[in-house]
Amino acid sequence: MSEFHLTEDQQDCLQELINVAMGQASDQLARYLDTFVYLKVPSIESVDAKDLMNTLSQQKNTMAVVSQGFFGYEGIRGEALLVYQEEDSGRIADLLGYEPDELSQDEQLIDISSILTTTFLNVFARQIDNQMSYNAPKLLPSAKENLSEHLQQMPFSWDLALKVNINYQVTDYSFNCNMILLIPETAITNIKHVLDRILAEF
Amino acid sequence: MSPSVLICDDSNMARKQVLRSLPEQWKTSVQTATNGAEALTILRDNSIDVLFLDLTMPGIDGIGVLQGIQKLKLKCSVFVISADIQPEMQSKVKALGAKEFLRKPVKPEVLTNHLQQHGLL
Repeated sequence: MSEFHLTEDQQDCLQELINVAMGQASDQLARYLDTFVYLKVPSIESVDAKDLMNTLSQQKNTMAVVSQGFFGYEGIRGEALLVYQEEDSGRIADLLGYEPDELSQDEQLIDISSILTTTFLNVFARQIDNQMSYNAPKLLPSAKENLSEHLQQMPFSWDLALKVNINYQVTDYSFNCNMILLIPETAITNIKHVLDRILAEF
Repeated sequence: MSPSVLICDDSNMARKQVLRSLPEQWKTSVQTATNGAEALTILRDNSIDVLFLDLTMPGIDGIGVLQGIQKLKLKCSVFVISADIQPEMQSKVKALGAKEFLRKPVKPEVLTNHLQQHGLL
């Protein structure tokens, strides 16, 4: 996480806030799927704008990206991307147990992504005394040109991305997805202030 | 006499959160562990009355610690404090002998309530 320049205490604090948020997101997912979700401690890393573009365009098997904008107070805003791999697509459909005609695979992915994103961000925001509102989630076509175009068309300039690597295991199935939070510099500065405020309470 | 307390969590902040939530008179005899293996060593070599235990930790996790406590037939009261709040997980830890399941982040009044309910305060 060198790009964020977080101190050891700030990083520990951020990781714990993310663990709590992810725990509640997996609880919501478990209720939705009516099963038990095994969750590993998510790893977090920060990437700068250029590196992210490279990483995403090099990923061969990216099946789909679901993108959803979020807005809080005090300059905390951004865009959450959930990136799924191609080999997991069949598993997600199995997992959701939808009949082929009921909902398209696209709709299933949007459902699951929105549950993860909004629960995660709601709980994260609550812990830093903030509150989020959201845009409707969008499924981006997997074509790479579309993705990079989308990243360039954000309504704000984002400088760093916080990448949260999530691995969900659901009884017989497991799937990986990356949650990538694109956030502008002002939001990062603000998050650091909040981390310091929390740490000062101890 | 204040009981001897062990707080086990891989996060420094989470350990401090628990410590801060403890009754004032308990804060004098607290040990900490950053993972399950460390916790089991402390539990084996000391007489610990109350353990506050996280679940998701690298290496031996909270479930592993609960199993270790059963195997060693230790008599400490375990309060699990975790972010993994799924109902199945809550019943699993209780089946393994935990007194209570508390969700993270823990609040002082909630912790105090549970300690009172179990006759520890």
